[in-house]
Amino acid sequence: MTSMTPTVSASGLSLHYGRTRALDDVSLRLTPGVTGLLGPNGAGKTTLLRVLATAVPADRGAFTVLGHDPASARGRQEVRRRLGYLPQTPGFHPDFTAFEFVDYVAILKELADRRERHREVRRVLDEVDLGDVRGRRIKKLSGGMRQRVALAAALVGDPGFLVLDEPTVGLDPEQRMRFRELIAGAGEGRTVLLSTHQTEDVAMLCHRVIVMAAGAVRFDGTPAELTARAAGRVWNSTEKDPGAKAGWRTGTGSFRNVGDPPPGAEPAEPTLEDGYLLVLDGADTEVTA
Amino acid sequence: MRIEENRPRDAWHVDEDDLRAYARGELAAPALWSADAHLTSCATCRGVLAEVSDVAALDAGWARLDAELDAPRPALLERLLVRCGVGDGTARLLAATPILRRSWFGALAAVLITTFLVAVAAGAAGRPTLFLVCAPLLPLVSVALAYGPALDPTHEMAVVSPMHGFRLLMIRTVAVLVVALGVGGLASLALPGFGPAALAWLLPGLALTATGLALTPRLGPVLAPSVLVCAWAAVLLAADAARASTDGPLAPFTAAGQGVSGCVAALGAGLLFLFRDRFDVSTRGVA
Repeated sequence: MTSMTPTVSASGLSLHYGRTRALDDVSLRLTPGVTGLLGPNGAGKTTLLRVLATAVPADRGAFTVLGHDPASARGRQEVRRRLGYLPQTPGFHPDFTAFEFVDYVAILKELADRRERHREVRRVLDEVDLGDVRGRRIKKLSGGMRQRVALAAALVGDPGFLVLDEPTVGLDPEQRMRFRELIAGAGEGRTVLLSTHQTEDVAMLCHRVIVMAAGAVRFDGTPAELTARAAGRVWNSTEKDPGAKAGWRTGTGSFRNVGDPPPGAEPAEPTLEDGYLLVLDGADTEVTA
Repeated sequence: MRIEENRPRDAWHVDEDDLRAYARGELAAPALWSADAHLTSCATCRGVLAEVSDVAALDAGWARLDAELDAPRPALLERLLVRCGVGDGTARLLAATPILRRSWFGALAAVLITTFLVAVAAGAAGRPTLFLVCAPLLPLVSVALAYGPALDPTHEMAVVSPMHGFRLLMIRTVAVLVVALGVGGLASLALPGFGPAALAWLLPGLALTATGLALTPRLGPVLAPSVLVCAWAAVLLAADAARASTDGPLAPFTAAGQGVSGCVAALGAGLLFLFRDRFDVSTRGVA
């Protein structure tokens, strides 16, 4: 996978908001498929996504998308022609219908020919299963449907690089499952960067995962590698182990502990979440890939 | 088919090449009109047309028709704009301009009534000063409200689209200016007896608008027009203190003042053009 030509290649991206260091020397390479971006609130996920989506320029560092450098106005436009972006809180014109809204975004994306544009709008609305409600006003759509309208808008023009900022937040489990299917479909043949709080999103969708904390990349590898970080460091006990870095009572009543196990502890099968917790804990700051 | 029975024998028939072009939808008038008229009354030509019609082209024609019927009917504002000769893409962009869409009509009515009341009050006082002082702010504030992250819910999506931010800004600005200047112009007509003097707000208004836009990338979409409103108030206070008699016009509304306003408007427009690339990224801190 690492031998593939990267779609996105970034080095040394840094960004400060006043005294806050939102991005601290972030370097990464993204290849086709879905890459998950995990991290707690304030880790810099949204800032990284906004920089890569050319919404804000970085203070330092550089990146290219499909060979185009957004440092110049010309390069930025070329990047934007290949970009689909679903912001964290996508805004809508509530009086537009789903069709009109996606059509509006298609116009912004320079699809000038009316007939072709309308065909493309219908294609993306069908792709997110909203073909039947395309004439309905956005203010009358449910939260899950609105999120799918935003995804359709991001997919207009078949972009090679798709940036999705926490698209599954606020969705109920069924909607989340449906949305994951859509993202998996969108990830076929294109590069998707997906930020999320949900380790399940990553486990089910991503061929690769990046963990961020305090503006820096803490882990960059496959989900299996992240899970492997917790191998031999998860154990069950009847009481909460005071030596554990994290511990919680599971559905079975026993405690699940993550950290450095005491002698004689009963080892448990590690999960992606265990690996994520250990990486965040700061014990593992090494980047593997 | 009585018409066919009445068809004169050895009549003229549509040329086969023309029928092919007709089938592809490429036959131009007036040959198109002749073909249309003739085909309704000539079974022979209809037969030839069916033979020469490309099935794929016919399907494409149906798909086009299908898409036309399928596309939702645009809202009133959009239809009006298209009727006025605005391209359908531009009309959609304008319909998404928050101030032209949401509470625009309410705001427009409020502005009209206020301006009219101000004009009446000014008329009663025998001088249009009050109106002239307020009117230049109308285009400035309207344009400031027409875009920006605070009022455009899709600002973030618009910023990262390949369409240049400056182009979108100009499309919206021109539309808003046309309306704001129209409203101001109508209000000026409500001040009979002052003649061209009632239009002395126009150049200061354009100067304020252009400068406000030019300052926006640096100061942001709220601070820039606010600064300009304060600057305008300061200019008026200074002019009031400096004027020779209480009956004379304020400096901005004299011939010299109009000249200065014109220069500032041109300068502001020039700066705006110079800074056009700065409208292409979000201002910092807008999350």
